[in-house]
Amino acid sequence: MPGDRAAALRIRKAIALVNAVADGAGDEDLTPTEIAEAIRDCLELREIEQGSNVRKYLGEALDATSDGMPADFVAMTLYAALGALGESWSED
Amino acid sequence: MRSAEGRGRTLDEAVDAALIELGESRRNVDVRVISEGPDETLVEVVVIDQATGPSGAASPTNGKAEAARALVEGLLKHMGVRAQVTVRTGTDPITLDISGRDLGGLIGWRGETLRALQSVTNVMLGRNLAEGERVIVDVERYRQRREHTVREIALRAARQVKMTGDAITLDAMQAFERRAIHLALQDDPDVGSSSIGEEPDRRVVVGPRKPAST
Repeated sequence: MPGDRAAALRIRKAIALVNAVADGAGDEDLTPTEIAEAIRDCLELREIEQGSNVRKYLGEALDATSDGMPADFVAMTLYAALGALGESWSED
Repeated sequence: MRSAEGRGRTLDEAVDAALIELGESRRNVDVRVISEGPDETLVEVVVIDQATGPSGAASPTNGKAEAARALVEGLLKHMGVRAQVTVRTGTDPITLDISGRDLGGLIGWRGETLRALQSVTNVMLGRNLAEGERVIVDVERYRQRREHTVREIALRAARQVKMTGDAITLDAMQAFERRAIHLALQDDPDVGSSSIGEEPDRRVVVGPRKPAST
C-alpha cells in the first residue's frame, strides 16, 4: 500500500509542523499558511478516498488552522486522521 | 535539592564521579558543565526532584495540576491502561508523570502516542488553562530521558566542534529535543546551534559561533 504510506507520511509531516509550533523549539518561524499547505498536500492525495473519515478529519484540521484554533487542537484532529488511516488499512 | 560536583578527564568521567558521590543513576539527574578544558572537565550534577507524594496528589494550592492529573487518570482508565499519574513537583509548566508496567504502547513510535495524549489532554483542559499555558505529559520519564540524552549529545558535539572547528549535523529531532540542545549550548561562548531542514526531518547543526560583526 505505497499510496497509504505516502498519506501517512504526509499526515505525519503536518503533525510534526503543528507540534513544532506547540512545543516551540525556538528555531523556526512557522505560519498557519505553512501548516495549511501541509494539510492541503495530504488532501490532494488521490489515495485518500472521497467521503472517508481520513478526509473528514483532514478537512476539520484545515478549518481549525484557518480559524486560528490552538496548535494542540489541530494536532489532535490530525492524529484522528492518522488513526482513521490506520483503521482503513486494517479493514483492507 | 541534592547536587554534587564531579571532576574528570572527560565529561563522562566527571559525571560518573558526581553520580558515585550522590549514589544516583544517570536517568535521575541533570548535568551542567561548569568548565571544560583539555585536561579536566568540571560538572555539577543535580538530582531531579522526584518528591511526588505516594498518592500522586498535587499540592492543594494547585487546582489546575490536580484537574489535569484527574483527567489523564480518567483517560487512561477508559483506555484500559493501568497506570499511576502523579504531578511532578516544582516544574513549570505543569508536568504529569505516568508510571506503571508495560507502558511502551503509551509512548508509541518516536513518542507519537505520548504526544497525541498530551495534545488531547491540553485540548480537554483548554478552558482551565490560561492563554499559552500547557500541560506536559510524560510516560516513565521518557521525555525527560530524551531531553537528557540529547543534551549529552549536544555537549559531546560541542566538544568535538571545539577540537576540530567543523560543524556537526545531528540526527532529525522533534521540537522539544531541538530546544533542549539550543538551551544546552546557549551560554557556550565558542559553539552555537541552529536548525536546518523541514519537519519532520529538521536537524540541529552544532558549529563554531561566528564572531559578532562590528
